[in-house]
Amino acid sequence: MTSLERLVYMLNQIATNLATDPDPVTAIAEHVQLFWDPRMKQMILESDREGLCPAAAAAVQRLAQAHASA
Amino acid sequence: MKIRISDDALAIACGADTVARAFIQAGAEVERVSSWGMHWLEPLVDVDGTGYANVTADQVRAIMAGTTESIGSIAEHPFITRQSRLTFARAGKTRPTSLDDYYASEGWLGLAKAQAIGAEATIETVLASGLRGRGGAGFPAGIKWKTVASAQAATKYIVCNADEGDSATFADRMVMEGDPFMLIEGMAIAGFAVGAQKGYVYIRSEYPHAIAKMETAIAACAHLIAPFIVEVRVGAGAYVCGEETSLLNSLEGKRGEVRAKPPLPALEGLFGKPTVVNNVLTLAAIPWILTHGGEAYASYGMGRSKGTMPVQLAGNVKHGGLFEIGFGITLGELVNDIGGGTDSGRPVRCVQVGGPLGAYIPPSRFDLPFDYEAFAAADALIGHAGITVFDDTVDMAQMARFAMEFCAVESCGKCTPCRLGSTRGVETLDQIIAGKNVEANLALLADLSETMKFGSLCALGGFTPYPVMSAITHFPEDFR
Amino acid sequence: MTYQPQKDFGTPASGSNDLVTCTIDGRHVTVPAGTSVMRAAAEQGTSIPKLCATDNMKSFGSCRLCLVEIDGRRGTPASCTTPVEPGMVVHTQTPHLQKLRKGVMELYISDHPLDCLTCAANGDCELQDQAGAVGLRDVRYEVQSTHLGQEKDHSNPYFDFDPSKCIACSRCIRACDEVQGTLALTMEGRGWDSKISAGLASDNFLGSECVSCGACVQACPTATLVEKKVVEIGTPERSVVTTCAYCGVGCTFRAEMRGEQLVRMVPYKDGKANRGHSCVKGRFAWGYAQHKERILKPMIRKSINDPWREVEWDEAFAYTASELKRISDSYGRHALGGITSSRCTNEETFLVQKLVRAGFGNNNVDTCARVCHSPTGYGLKTTFGTSAGTQDFDSVEECDVILIIGANPTDGHPVFASRMKRRLRGQDGRPPAKLIVIDPRRTDIVRSPHIEAEHHLPLRPGTNVAVLTAMAHVIVSEGLANEAFIKERCDWDEYRHWAEFVTQPRNSPESLQPVTLVDAEELRAAARLYATGGNGAIYYGLGVTEHSQGSSTVMAIANLAMATGNIGKRGVGVNPLRGQNNVQGACDMGSFPHELSGYRHISDGDARKLFESDWGVALDPEPGLRIPNMLDAAVDGVFKGLYVQGEDILHSDPNTKHVSAGLAAMECVIVHDLFLNETANYAHIFLPGSTFLEKNGTFTNAERRIQPVRKVMTPLNGLEDWEVTQRLAQAMGLDWNYTHPSEIMDEIARLTPTFAGVSFSRLDEEGSLQWPVNDAAPDGSPIMHVDGFVRGRGKFVVTDYVPTDEKTGPRFPLLLTTGRILSHYNVGAQTRRTENVAWHPEDLLEIHPVDAEDRGIKSGDWVKLASRAGETTLRATVTDRVAPGVVYTTFHHAVTQANVVTTDYSDWATNCPEYKVTAVQISPSNGPTDWQEEYEALSERARRIATEVPAE
Repeated sequence: MTSLERLVYMLNQIATNLATDPDPVTAIAEHVQLFWDPRMKQMILESDREGLCPAAAAAVQRLAQAHASA
Repeated sequence: MKIRISDDALAIACGADTVARAFIQAGAEVERVSSWGMHWLEPLVDVDGTGYANVTADQVRAIMAGTTESIGSIAEHPFITRQSRLTFARAGKTRPTSLDDYYASEGWLGLAKAQAIGAEATIETVLASGLRGRGGAGFPAGIKWKTVASAQAATKYIVCNADEGDSATFADRMVMEGDPFMLIEGMAIAGFAVGAQKGYVYIRSEYPHAIAKMETAIAACAHLIAPFIVEVRVGAGAYVCGEETSLLNSLEGKRGEVRAKPPLPALEGLFGKPTVVNNVLTLAAIPWILTHGGEAYASYGMGRSKGTMPVQLAGNVKHGGLFEIGFGITLGELVNDIGGGTDSGRPVRCVQVGGPLGAYIPPSRFDLPFDYEAFAAADALIGHAGITVFDDTVDMAQMARFAMEFCAVESCGKCTPCRLGSTRGVETLDQIIAGKNVEANLALLADLSETMKFGSLCALGGFTPYPVMSAITHFPEDFR
Repeated sequence: MTYQPQKDFGTPASGSNDLVTCTIDGRHVTVPAGTSVMRAAAEQGTSIPKLCATDNMKSFGSCRLCLVEIDGRRGTPASCTTPVEPGMVVHTQTPHLQKLRKGVMELYISDHPLDCLTCAANGDCELQDQAGAVGLRDVRYEVQSTHLGQEKDHSNPYFDFDPSKCIACSRCIRACDEVQGTLALTMEGRGWDSKISAGLASDNFLGSECVSCGACVQACPTATLVEKKVVEIGTPERSVVTTCAYCGVGCTFRAEMRGEQLVRMVPYKDGKANRGHSCVKGRFAWGYAQHKERILKPMIRKSINDPWREVEWDEAFAYTASELKRISDSYGRHALGGITSSRCTNEETFLVQKLVRAGFGNNNVDTCARVCHSPTGYGLKTTFGTSAGTQDFDSVEECDVILIIGANPTDGHPVFASRMKRRLRGQDGRPPAKLIVIDPRRTDIVRSPHIEAEHHLPLRPGTNVAVLTAMAHVIVSEGLANEAFIKERCDWDEYRHWAEFVTQPRNSPESLQPVTLVDAEELRAAARLYATGGNGAIYYGLGVTEHSQGSSTVMAIANLAMATGNIGKRGVGVNPLRGQNNVQGACDMGSFPHELSGYRHISDGDARKLFESDWGVALDPEPGLRIPNMLDAAVDGVFKGLYVQGEDILHSDPNTKHVSAGLAAMECVIVHDLFLNETANYAHIFLPGSTFLEKNGTFTNAERRIQPVRKVMTPLNGLEDWEVTQRLAQAMGLDWNYTHPSEIMDEIARLTPTFAGVSFSRLDEEGSLQWPVNDAAPDGSPIMHVDGFVRGRGKFVVTDYVPTDEKTGPRFPLLLTTGRILSHYNVGAQTRRTENVAWHPEDLLEIHPVDAEDRGIKSGDWVKLASRAGETTLRATVTDRVAPGVVYTTFHHAVTQANVVTTDYSDWATNCPEYKVTAVQISPSNGPTDWQEEYEALSERARRIATEVPAE
């Protein structure tokens, strides 16, 4: 798989495992923020979000907003 | 006409089964009973209380017709009347595995009494009796039981040492073959007194008849001793497994190696649990003690050796057999009066008391009373009270060599003085017997004996010096 | 100081708190009740002659040398088996005792070879010593029969057995029983015929169940069992205490030297992790340091297709620095990265991450923990607040219930396993602890001499979370949770949220049975046992972490421990069995791309400022790349340079094809290692490394115990590893001037609060320290979370079971899981270059009889192991240790290429690879696969070293 496909897979996997968190979208966004390197974050933010499950897509949206206001 | 013939192994070896078959074929009703313990008379046929000695099959018709000479009333025989048969009261009289016969002869009264008076009072009774371990150590049974009773453990055991390996001993065998319920009752009483749920009887493999009788008896009376359970375990040909700690190792399925003490088996014994290890005779004495009371038992004997000892006369002796008597009788009376001297008719040169590791005692010391302390003071031991008689054709140097050789063969191999010393002892005696450097080698042998006596881990190596040094001391002429 | 063996007190120390005073040779001695007379005398400085007694085993009482006289007691009791009593009066030397001891010794010597002067034990023989001590002058026996002239057993690669010198003291048998717990040795025959046997009469030491731990060799008082190296070299002249470099137990050894030659490694009795025991690897397998394949000179090459060219250090550093600069200039500073070694010292890993952060200017640093215990770091940090285990090893002595999940301690952590076995056998007189094992395989500890697990749950690989959730279901729904503990120490609302989740009907053992394949009743019983059996401790390993839900499993374990109150005291806890000798340390030192030392996130401004002011450089505040992401970035063309210290990612990381693609795409791969490993096939620069014998530093074991590593010989490659990193940094223009690793530790202590009180001088004093070491805990912290969790309140995290995406199907119907074997260590880089290959010359595939029969496979047959990722060939062994449907292999031999088969699936939180679940098919084969042949050709080409042809 391409690097982007791998990132999408990873993000979906994170979302599935954080589904039982009280606030999944925040948890996913925090996880990515804490552990992904800038280039990986860049790639996912610039992507068209295709293939992401709803919670993951929402988390990416949250991150995009945070980066925009940074 | 009630015909009784023993099915004890010794009687069978003398031909009792053949004789019994002949009587049956002749139409008589034959009861197989325990042996009276007068071995020179076997096969002994009891016809309504009258005894016929050394019977062969061809004498059957004559006996039934009443035309053969008898020895008279067996019970009135002086060999019997001179005894105080407490443990061997039933010998010759009952069928060993018949519960009816056992009930009819004071059977199970001891257990009932123990249960009535309670565990603590039972132990007090045993203490009052002065009963000491009959296997050889002579340790007060009551104190051992008390130690185990006080130990804090959910699981405890009774182990009966039936590995009777000493030469000239057969009392344990006679109890197991002749009066097994008595032994089982004794174990059940012990279990009740100390809080043990299970008992094991460790029987030497060389006693197949005893093993079979015990299995039959246990099956027959299991319901009477419940919840206490007794099981037979068979040894595998090691004399050293008569030593209590190596017996426990063998029971646990391990090498029959001696354990160091402490810890005492009373606190850490079988599988690490508090365990009473007692000889067959010790446990067999218990039912009588509970039935008749501790003081009654203690009224027999002398000094600190209370009660009766089943002495076993064997070897080159005229009247070999089981002689139960209170402690205090002299060695001379036993050997000469009761035993009748040698079977060969030649003079008695010495006797060995207590098995292959017992001291050789010359006639000059036949004044010794049968008493633990008196024997110890004379550098001898009572052991399991087997007496082997020798006439004047015995070569004491060869007997000393045999003692070392016996130790070498039976050594468990754990401790250095016994494992290596016994072989070196044989080699040194060979040198002496061949006449090489005799004085130097005798001195070396004395040193080796001291090392073995004080250094060995158990009595196998520890007591081997007794026969060796007593032979050298009392019969120096055989060594030079 | 001349060579002295460690003092032997004769019998073990007593743990009693009651004291007893007695008199020995006229002097008063006070010791704990239960101490033997022999030990009491030894503590007072009196050595009673002895041969069969040694202080790491129970007394035996067989030699009969140690006899003493005691007032009021008859005879001459053995002092080793006699406990002291109050007021006892003992005489250790009297004319009678002298005579008896001489008598015993005379017997020994009458049956012993008299070749002391040429014997391997000359000068180090207890029989010699005691013969001298008791004053034996002659042997008077005219000896006819002896045990001399017997054949020696040379089968074990590391030690010899000479029965002619045996004095039948049984120390070896007792060591194998009490210390190691393997019970391979026994005494055959009785009396004079007593003979040590390695098992059956037909067994020699190599063929028997002996695991070559060396405990018997250490115990043997004569030359009967002796190290081959001692036979070859002679006795040592000095010893240096250091720490083993193999696994996470971190055994302390005395390196016994003659000059700079290592004669033998002897376990140190006072080592807190190993308490005087060892395994075959640390004890014997250190010969790799002198192996002919060891590279001693730096090498460089422009292309990986060229042969290597040997150069001097200066040229190597200059070239490396210039390459790194070139890449940084061309592609940006994010194109570089480093991998720290979990086998190098704390000081060395600290320098590598410092090189990356301060030198490369990014956070692209990672370590092998990525592929093993990174989920431990994540999971325990989230739930408890600390990325490490909660107990010390001694804590196992107070367990009542031991739960092992995803770990095989008898193979992976053997010395600790021996201690666990002592507790499981109840050797101290207390009722034995009970054992629960959760593992798809019937590992050795499930059923071994005198040990049987109460419950073995052979779950389907990949279903750990389901099993643990089912156990939680039982504990909560049956009212077995420790609510008092939870209320006091955790967040009650989080607990209730979690409790609601686990008690749902779909999470019951019965509902989950089709998923886990674990019998519901067994699981219920196991859960009840853990919750109610007393002190319950969980020990886990890579069978937990190397899964797509590795982090979740760790958190599920933490949840169980919190729910039952099994935290914060001795005998309980959550214990990750860290694999490498310093993987804990490498993680502590900030080897992860998102964390500085002490597990502070790189985004933490205060932490960054602390480093920035000390280092004089600005730090990148964003997390960096993990190893798999580095490889992805390399394939994408943006990651170009990698400095790998002491790690063989091509061998140990999953999906070999992906790794080689990543490496091949880089322009500068720097391998800093002892041997040309698999990764070096793709390297451009090779910097030779130093072994643990050749440097000073510290390792941190699985107990968080920081232990000293002491240099005993000059590095054969010329530089200690920290010096290599420093010189590289200097070549890059960094102003580093460390003169000794203690200075590096001082810097670590300055910058890392949990290490604040650590220094080399403190370690010399104390022997070792368990972090945190700070004002709150100045002497270190054996047990953590005692009064409260490090994060404050323990956090319950709901972990729902998510099946792995690695599914079996008609093409790949079996599940492969991987593991380790005792004699080899991980990728075998070291152990394959020692005699340990005698035990495990190849990796074998374990397959169940039913699956084997379906495919016509017998033990010894070559089979093809294929997955969606790739295929390889190895030989099979048919066994019912694995369940039908599950196969198993080890990965110690490069030629096996086991990781060609493993996938890219990994833990959701940490990317720890899912080694433990691969869907595979097994079929008979007649030789290596194409990949194996290509790879072998590549390796051969890549390992050529140009020899200098002299100029005309």
